Amino acid sequence: MIVSPYCTIGPFFPASFVEGHEDLTRYRGGTARGQHIVLRGRILQEGGVPTRNTILEIWQPDANGIFRNSLDPRCREADPGFAGWGRARTDAEGWYRIRTVVPGSYSDRCPHANLMILAIGLTRRLVTTVFFADDPDSARDPVLDCVKDAAARQRLFARRESAGEYRFDLILRGENETPFFLD
Amino acid sequence: MPASRIDYQPYDDRTQLARYIDRYPLSFKRTPLAPPVQRPLTLSERTGPVARDLFAIGQMDLSRVAADAPRAIGQLIQISGRVTDEDGSPLAGAAIEIWQANSAGKYIHDMDRHNAPIDPNFTGEGRLVTDAEGQFQFFSIKPGAYPVLESGWWWRPPHIHFSILGRSWMDRFVTQIFFPGEPLNETDLLLNAVSERDVRERLIFQFEGTTMTEGASAGEVNAMQFRRDFVLRGRRQTPEID
Repeated sequence: MIVSPYCTIGPFFPASFVEGHEDLTRYRGGTARGQHIVLRGRILQEGGVPTRNTILEIWQPDANGIFRNSLDPRCREADPGFAGWGRARTDAEGWYRIRTVVPGSYSDRCPHANLMILAIGLTRRLVTTVFFADDPDSARDPVLDCVKDAAARQRLFARRESAGEYRFDLILRGENETPFFLD
Repeated sequence: MPASRIDYQPYDDRTQLARYIDRYPLSFKRTPLAPPVQRPLTLSERTGPVARDLFAIGQMDLSRVAADAPRAIGQLIQISGRVTDEDGSPLAGAAIEIWQANSAGKYIHDMDRHNAPIDPNFTGEGRLVTDAEGQFQFFSIKPGAYPVLESGWWWRPPHIHFSILGRSWMDRFVTQIFFPGEPLNETDLLLNAVSERDVRERLIFQFEGTTMTEGASAGEVNAMQFRRDFVLRGRRQTPEID
């Protein structure tokens, strides 16, 4: 069967579909284990212009590197207080803000979170991955290692701003463009 | 029993809308310049949230804000369809988010500056989940057309937005579905940003007829029926033959 056509999310994605999903650290009455952080940044279009009203979705393992999904062999041990998935919307200056935990590493994957951008002007989703590492230069990861350009590779790391805060900007087009993956 | 491994191939451009669309300036300001990076699909990309666990799934009737509330103004429609993967296997338990304008072409949203009236009996938002056969069904009212004010000329034809969370990060899907026979369909920049006719047809509901009950009262409705099936990315991997 032929895959259905994507279309842009447009400007009117309901606010109620975002509310409550900006915080992954609370789930079904529980609280996530691990280090709680704010992941925040700006989503910019060509010329560094902020994109207002962009939807950002996140999917990541818990602090122990476990996905609450039956494909993960450790699924039963997944943190019951961690949502794993979230969604945020950018404000007029292009800022998004998500509360989550530092993802755990597992197997050959460096700590990371999957990110997806849905926005007016984009007829498809854009997907990328944000990595967390004290020393990006020594990080090894099968997805990260596909980005051959050293400067572009650096742009996939969240920057630690303070103990509980990480910064990750997404530049959709132009100078310092964020690497996006083939989808 | 472990779930069979699903293969996700990159989207074939011939089945999708163009990335760049003339007279749609944001497509030129937001589409990345660099070619996308090819990567392996690991557990992280092959998994995804169990959406039913994340959302409160609402009622299947968007035409009322509550079961005992008055019906929204507009023509009652019944939308149904089925969500499958590329093998035609049903995606049971997929979460579907729906949003649309009211019958006057107005959204309840801080970005909507069109001076059309809000209908107090209509939110235009709903969430539902597919059944064991991947099927979904809901009532709503037919959305109105509305102008894209900043364009100076473009009116969007009536359409309903769908966002689907299927079984993984890879098959997450968002689209808009249009109504057949609408004059504005001919000029819509998005609906016409396709190279092949059959892609355009997959963005349009099929009209399935009408229901009629004389003196329809509570529990009985007369609605125009429309259908749209969705095929999300993913095929069971063919086992290798030794």
